[in-house]
Amino acid sequence: MTTHDLVILGSGPAGMAAAATAVAYGITALVVDEQPAPGGQIYRSIESTPLKERRILGDDYWHGKALVDGLDDPRIDYRPGTTLWQLTRRLEVGLLQGGHASMVQARHVILAHGAMERPFPIPGWTLPGVMTAGSGQILLKSAGLAPSAPVVLAGCGPLLLLLAVQYLRAGIPIAALLDTTPAGQYWDALPLLPGALRNSRTLLKGLGLLAELRRAGVRHVRHVTALEAEGEDRLERVRWQCGNDPEWHCLTTPLLLLHQGVVPNTQVTRALDCAHDWDERQLAWQPRRDPWLATDVEGVAVAGDAGGIVGAKASAMQGQLAGLGAAIALGRVSEDKIHGEVKRLRRDLARETAIRPFLDVLYRPAVHWRLPEDETLVCRCEEVTAGEVRRMAEQGCRGPNQTKSFTRCGMGPCQGRMCGLTVSELLADANGQSVAETGYYRLRPPFKPITLGQLATAAEDTSG
Amino acid sequence: MKTYDFAVVGGGLVGSAIAYGLAKAGHRVAVLDEGDVAYRASRGNFGLVWVQGKGLEMPSYSQWSMSSASLWPSLSEELWDLTDVATQHQAPGGVHLCYSQREMDLRQADLTSLAKATGGQFDFAMLDHQQLREMIPEIGESVAGASWSRWDGHANPLYLLRGLHAGFLRCGGTFLPGSKVHRVHQRGDSFVIEREGERVQAERVVLAAGLGNRLLAPQVGLHAPLVPNRGEILVTERMRPLLNLPTTYLRQTGEGSILMGDSHEDVGFDEGTETPVLSHIAQRAVRALPALANTRIVRTWGALRVMTPDGYPLYQASLSHPGAFVACCHSGVTLAAAHAKRLAPWIAGDSLPSEIAPFTAERFDVQTVIPA
Repeated sequence: MTTHDLVILGSGPAGMAAAATAVAYGITALVVDEQPAPGGQIYRSIESTPLKERRILGDDYWHGKALVDGLDDPRIDYRPGTTLWQLTRRLEVGLLQGGHASMVQARHVILAHGAMERPFPIPGWTLPGVMTAGSGQILLKSAGLAPSAPVVLAGCGPLLLLLAVQYLRAGIPIAALLDTTPAGQYWDALPLLPGALRNSRTLLKGLGLLAELRRAGVRHVRHVTALEAEGEDRLERVRWQCGNDPEWHCLTTPLLLLHQGVVPNTQVTRALDCAHDWDERQLAWQPRRDPWLATDVEGVAVAGDAGGIVGAKASAMQGQLAGLGAAIALGRVSEDKIHGEVKRLRRDLARETAIRPFLDVLYRPAVHWRLPEDETLVCRCEEVTAGEVRRMAEQGCRGPNQTKSFTRCGMGPCQGRMCGLTVSELLADANGQSVAETGYYRLRPPFKPITLGQLATAAEDTSG
Repeated sequence: MKTYDFAVVGGGLVGSAIAYGLAKAGHRVAVLDEGDVAYRASRGNFGLVWVQGKGLEMPSYSQWSMSSASLWPSLSEELWDLTDVATQHQAPGGVHLCYSQREMDLRQADLTSLAKATGGQFDFAMLDHQQLREMIPEIGESVAGASWSRWDGHANPLYLLRGLHAGFLRCGGTFLPGSKVHRVHQRGDSFVIEREGERVQAERVVLAAGLGNRLLAPQVGLHAPLVPNRGEILVTERMRPLLNLPTTYLRQTGEGSILMGDSHEDVGFDEGTETPVLSHIAQRAVRALPALANTRIVRTWGALRVMTPDGYPLYQASLSHPGAFVACCHSGVTLAAAHAKRLAPWIAGDSLPSEIAPFTAERFDVQTVIPA
C-alpha cells in the first residue's frame, strides 16, 4: 500500500486552501474529489461553466478562480472523479477511480467534503419534478440547464435567495418564491445583528439579493406555514397556506425546488466513529474538533462546512488552518514559528463567521418543517413514513439505530443522508429526550457505491 | 416496587425469544435492554435458520437445532397473526458450496458422521456441479458441488427481532430500554436488577445479555466465559431473483438484496470492517455467482458473535441462587423457535429439554483440565 503524507478529501474552498497551505511546508498532498473538476459545490464548474457572463453567477463565485489555480502545483496530486469509499481509524483510505478500487495509507487526513442540504420532507417531496435547490443550482452551473416553464422555489436560507437571483439573471422565469421563514424570526434574529455587522459585506450582499428580487417583481410569498407538492405520476401543482389563514393557494408548475438550509455532511466522520455534538443553533451534528480542527481520531482533521456551516470564505480559512495543523503534525514546522500567522488567521476567521449566529437564527427552519405529519415519507429509499418512526418510539426504540433495524429506515443506498436528521429529531420529540441523547445512525462503508468486482480486487491493488 | 415474575436482561434475539415465550404463557415479564448503541449481535447477523454441519463434536446441538428448525414455521406464523410482522422465514433447504473434490470429500465425511451420531435424524445429500446448477442456474463454473440439507432455511433476522418485541408487548410484556444492567443480586425470594438510576425487581431473572453475561453471571453463581468473535457482512443493492435457496455465506433476502459473509475473527471488541476481509468475501461471492461482479454494495458491517469456548450454547440454572438463569449462544436466529417454545417453558418450571442437558458451563472446566 502506498503511503501519502497528506490525503485531502474534497477540492472545494477548504480542501484547495488546505492543499496550498500544506505544500508550502514541503508536504505532498493527495487531493481527491468525486467531481470531474475542482471548486466544490460553491465554485462548481468554474473552469468550464457555459455561463461566462460574470454577473449571472456573481462575483463570489468567480472569487474561487485563484484557489482553483493554486491546485496546479507539482506537489499536489489532484485526482478528480475519485470517490472515497472507505476510511479506517488507522487512516487506510479506499479510493475508487475510473471503476478501479485501491487502498492507500495516509499519515494525515483533512476531510473537506462540505455540506449537504437539510432534508425537507413535505407531502409529495418524492414526486419527480420536486428537487432540492442545490440540485437546481448544480444543473445551472455545470450545464446551464434550467427549466423552460416557470419554477417555484420554496423554503428558506441564503442559498435559496441566491439561486432565485441567479435564475433571474439567467432569464429563467420564477413563478413564485415561497418563503417559509417564520414571521417572528426576523425579531428573534435582530439582537444578533450587531455581531453580524462585523461581516457587513455578506450582510449587504444578502440585502442586495432581496432588493434585486423585489425590483424584478418576483412573487415573493412570505410566512408560508404549510406546503404540499401534488400530482399523479409527477409534480403538477404546489399548494400552500400562509400564516394563520386557512385558505390554500395553488400554482401549476412542473418544477419545485426545495431548500431549508445546509448542514455538515457527517457521513465519513460518523463512519470513523468520531465524537459528534448536536448544535442546537444550527440544528445539526458537528464533529467535535480542537483549535487545529482535529477530531478525536488521531490524524484526522475536518475543515470547512463539513465541520459546521461557515460559508465559502471561512471554509478556505479553515482549510489554511488545517493545512498548518497538518504541517505541525507531520513535523514540518513548529507551532511557535507560525504563531503570528495563526493568530491573524483565527482573527480573520472570527470576523468572517460573525454573521453566522444571525443567519442561523433568521433562517432556522420552524419545528413543523422538521417534524413532518404522520403520512409524510421520511426515508425515501425504503419508504418509511414519519408515523412509522413515531410508532417505533412507542415500541421502545430510543434512537435511530434501533428504528433502522426494525423498519429499514435509513438502510437504503443514500445511507440515511436524506432522512437522518429528520429521524433523530422525530425520535427525540416522541421520546421526550434531546437530540443529543437520541443520537444518529451508525454509518458503515462503503461511503459511495462500489461493486463486488471492484472490491474483490481492492486489497490486491496497492499501486494507488 | 412492582415485582415481575421474570426479568430478562437483554433485548436481543435470545432474550426476546425467551421473554416472548414466557409472556405468551401468561407470566408477567420485563425485558431490560440497553440504549440505541450497544454490542448488538442480533442486529448484525446473517439470518440463516441452519442445521447442516452444526454439532460435529456435539450431536445434541444438531438435535437442538433441528428441533428449532421444526418449530420455526409455527413461530413465524404466530408472530404474523399476533403482530402483522412477517419474518420472511423460508425453508427451501440450504447448500454449502465446495470448490474442489477434496472439499466435497471432507464435507461428505463430516456430514455422514453427523447423520450417524444423530441416529439418522439429520439427513443430507451431496450434489455435483450439474445437480447444483439445476438448483442455482447461475452458479459459477469453479464451484465443484455442494452439500444439501432439507433442514436449512433463512429468515429476516431484524423482522424476527421486531416481531418478537411486538409479540412480547402484545402478550402484556414490559419493555424497558435505556442502559446497561450492572448489578444483579438476590434479596429474599426475589432478584433486584440495577442499572443507572433504576432498579427492577423480579422473582426470577434470565441473563440473556450476550457478551454482557460475562460480568453478570458470576453475580448469581453462574459462569459465562464468553469471547467476542467478529463476523463481517456485506449487503448489495436489490437484485432480480438469483439465489432461491440460502448457502452458508450467501443468501438473497426477501427484499432482493444479497447478503454475504462468514468471517470469524478474533479481534476483541472491534466492530469495524477490514478491507482485506471484505475483499476476500467479495472474491468468494463473485466466484460462486459471477453475475454479482457488477452489483453494487450498499453497506458493510462487522458484528460480534457471542462465543463460548467450544462455540456451543450455554443454558444453566443457578444452584446457589435459585431462580437465576443464564442463556447465551451465537445462533439466535436458528434457535429462536426453540428458545421461545422449549427453553422458556423450562425456565418457567417444566422439565429440561433432553438435548440441552450437556450445555452447562461445567464442560468448560473439564476442558481446561485436559491438556491440549
